[in-house]
Amino acid sequence: MSTSHSEPVASVEVAPSARKAIAPWRRLLSAFLESKLAVVGLVGLVLILLVAIFAPWLSPQDPFDLTQIDIMDSKLPPGSESYTGMVYWLGTDGQGRDMLSGIFYGLRISLTVGILSGFFALIIGTSVGLSAAYFGGRIETLIMRIVDLQLSFPAILVALILLAILGRGVDKVILALVIVQWAYYARTSRSAALVERRKEYIEAARSLALSTPRIIFRHLLPNCLPPVIVIGTVQVANAIALEATLSFLGIGLPVTEPSLGLLISNGFNYLLSGRYWISFFPGLALLLTIVAINLVGDQLRDILNPRLQR
Amino acid sequence: MRPLMYALSGVFTAAALFSAPVSAADLRVALSTEPTSIDPHYHNLSPNNALATHIFGSLIEQGPTQELQPGLALSWKPIKDDTWEFKLRQGVKFQDGSPFTADDVVFTINRAGNVPDSPSSFGIYTKPVKEMKVIDDHTVHFITDGPYPLLPNDLSGIRIISRKNAEGATTADFNSGKAAVGAGPYKLVSFTPGQSIILEANPTYWGEKPQFDKVIFRPVTNPAARVAALLSGDVDLVDGVPTADIAQLKKNPAVSLDDAVSNRIIYLHIDSDRDVTPHVTAKDGKEIKNPFKDVRVRKAISMAINRQAIVDRVMEGLAIPAGQLLPKGFFGVSPNIQVPKYDPEAAKKLLAEAGYKDGFKLTIHGPNDRYINDAQIVQAIAQMLSRIGIDTAVDTMPRSTFFGRASKLEFSLMLVGWGSGTGEASSPLKSLLATYDKAAGMGPSNRGRYSNKEFDETLAKALVTVDDAAREKLLQKATEIAMADVGLIPLHYEVSTWATRKGFKYEGRSDQGTQAMGVSIVK
Repeated sequence: MSTSHSEPVASVEVAPSARKAIAPWRRLLSAFLESKLAVVGLVGLVLILLVAIFAPWLSPQDPFDLTQIDIMDSKLPPGSESYTGMVYWLGTDGQGRDMLSGIFYGLRISLTVGILSGFFALIIGTSVGLSAAYFGGRIETLIMRIVDLQLSFPAILVALILLAILGRGVDKVILALVIVQWAYYARTSRSAALVERRKEYIEAARSLALSTPRIIFRHLLPNCLPPVIVIGTVQVANAIALEATLSFLGIGLPVTEPSLGLLISNGFNYLLSGRYWISFFPGLALLLTIVAINLVGDQLRDILNPRLQR
Repeated sequence: MRPLMYALSGVFTAAALFSAPVSAADLRVALSTEPTSIDPHYHNLSPNNALATHIFGSLIEQGPTQELQPGLALSWKPIKDDTWEFKLRQGVKFQDGSPFTADDVVFTINRAGNVPDSPSSFGIYTKPVKEMKVIDDHTVHFITDGPYPLLPNDLSGIRIISRKNAEGATTADFNSGKAAVGAGPYKLVSFTPGQSIILEANPTYWGEKPQFDKVIFRPVTNPAARVAALLSGDVDLVDGVPTADIAQLKKNPAVSLDDAVSNRIIYLHIDSDRDVTPHVTAKDGKEIKNPFKDVRVRKAISMAINRQAIVDRVMEGLAIPAGQLLPKGFFGVSPNIQVPKYDPEAAKKLLAEAGYKDGFKLTIHGPNDRYINDAQIVQAIAQMLSRIGIDTAVDTMPRSTFFGRASKLEFSLMLVGWGSGTGEASSPLKSLLATYDKAAGMGPSNRGRYSNKEFDETLAKALVTVDDAAREKLLQKATEIAMADVGLIPLHYEVSTWATRKGFKYEGRSDQGTQAMGVSIVK
């Protein structure tokens, strides 16, 4: 009974703030800024995104253009100069590719793969999860058993099998990652929706004879979003790490267009020989990216989680 | 960072595996490639053959550079145009104490080519034998279809098993050890796939007494883990030392290295047969005629490749630029063939002459876990081809998928390697360049379907020429024809490297095999 009592109170609280449209965002922003660490993460993430977006203009070399890289410049240590006078600030890899350019372009691929696969998985997973919760019954049982089945396999295993079948390419990696990830979103959104479904505003919407899609997407979805957003940030970081793992294992992306994982994998062969830079710098870039995303994600979770709200 | 962690943890677990104490007269070996079976006739693969040499003897054995030496046969000679007489060693006993006789030889030859589900059959070696006659317990006659001078080379690839122990035995019976009774210097103790192969000395071995009481082979496929295991003293010998680490290891006084020029040529096979080839298009993506049918295009590609740069930068000096199929010193190598000169300008001109002034689009394929630095070589070649205007993409894959697809002719230009099991030139000529003919056993690995009548005739003549000098001339001529026609593009000969811990020394082999018999103890 107590929950149903608190409901109208909550809606009363929301109603006035809804009039000043910016207010909840401003509240969230100030809550977010409370953590210095999260701010550092956000700044780092923005910088990384900018580097990734503007990679073609920032990079001294196009590392995917085979005519621009020269095997005779391979394995040069950081700070070396090519015979054309270009300085390899972070050294070169086994093919003579400038590591700095390689990392910039690699970030681009890693982030594209992470964000796009996360985005599509979110859309598909959330739709499925909300539908399952809303309709209930057999549909729900069926969908949730599929989700359980998928989650019982390790993500890396499923992705390996899928890529073995699909072949190489950025699009295929994204597809594989979407297939691996949608179940997380489905499960999260369903559990959030199960709670929301029983609340009065859904009943009110139903009694107004609104269409089912409208109820699901206009009423149910917005109220289930916070946990999904949190899962989303964590999953983007996971997707990037998973893509790097797949590339490290030698499947996924073509070798001439290396992502961060592939750069690390190439350099791994040279670790014992003292040419640390070939895998160290891409590894560092990957680490910083994932840490930045996680810092932002953690703070989002804290401020969006009603239980932790003071 | 996660993948790096996985890999590092792999290094540590691999190191932990080796910490069991062993006595001084034991030899511990880390292998880069695990043998797929104990059955010596199941899979014609270098690691399998090297292991089988420990347990089973051959009629004729191959020395470090594959020179033929008496083994279970003391002598062999042709007594008629179509008959070879083999005299067997007397008083040899199998590891179970039963005597070795001519009957075991007949049993072995009949079985070797007929093992069910063999991924790579020994039939290529037993096919020439039409009939066998047992003259007495220690004399066998091999009847061939007409003169067949290469019979000793072929039979050196077949390990002898005992009829008493292996009659009706399956590959699984060999793996369990039940049928794995041979006349070699070491006996099988246990075979645990993915973990270890343990051998012990055979006290009744007919030859030189085995050096070690016990030999333990462990597969360690990760190169870094292999080197780490050696450096920590957990193994005494490793093969497949990664080229990147060699400079560092040379400086280490606790390690000694030995290398040997191998019989393995790394080359590009070119689809020079089909009118349209799957991975070549015009630059705008439109389908075009297969440019590789034009010898000028094949030549241009060969000239565009800087073999010395690949050897220096990718192989770190541990390879020899190649212009034909076997390095100097092997039987049938032509003294007249030079390594193709690197000349991108001339290559561009040749392409223009052939009507490809603006180049075309190409995907080049290769394995990424089979040959030394294979994936990197493919990328370096892609760079070089891009420079003469051929837009080259690279697709590398694990060997488990690569070889199946290559044999189904799914590729246009591919990186492959070939080790001459017989240690002379007819092996690669027959397998890689002869016109594909399944029934005749010619061109079984001719994945570019190269076909040249003059070449086929010269080779066929060579294969039936008994006189060594005349046969060598014919093999050289056949090689010259195929190379002038660019039937395939040779890149380099692999140099294989072994590393041993202080106190041991390994004598490298041209067949890339890792054998306990090649290890000596140094004080």
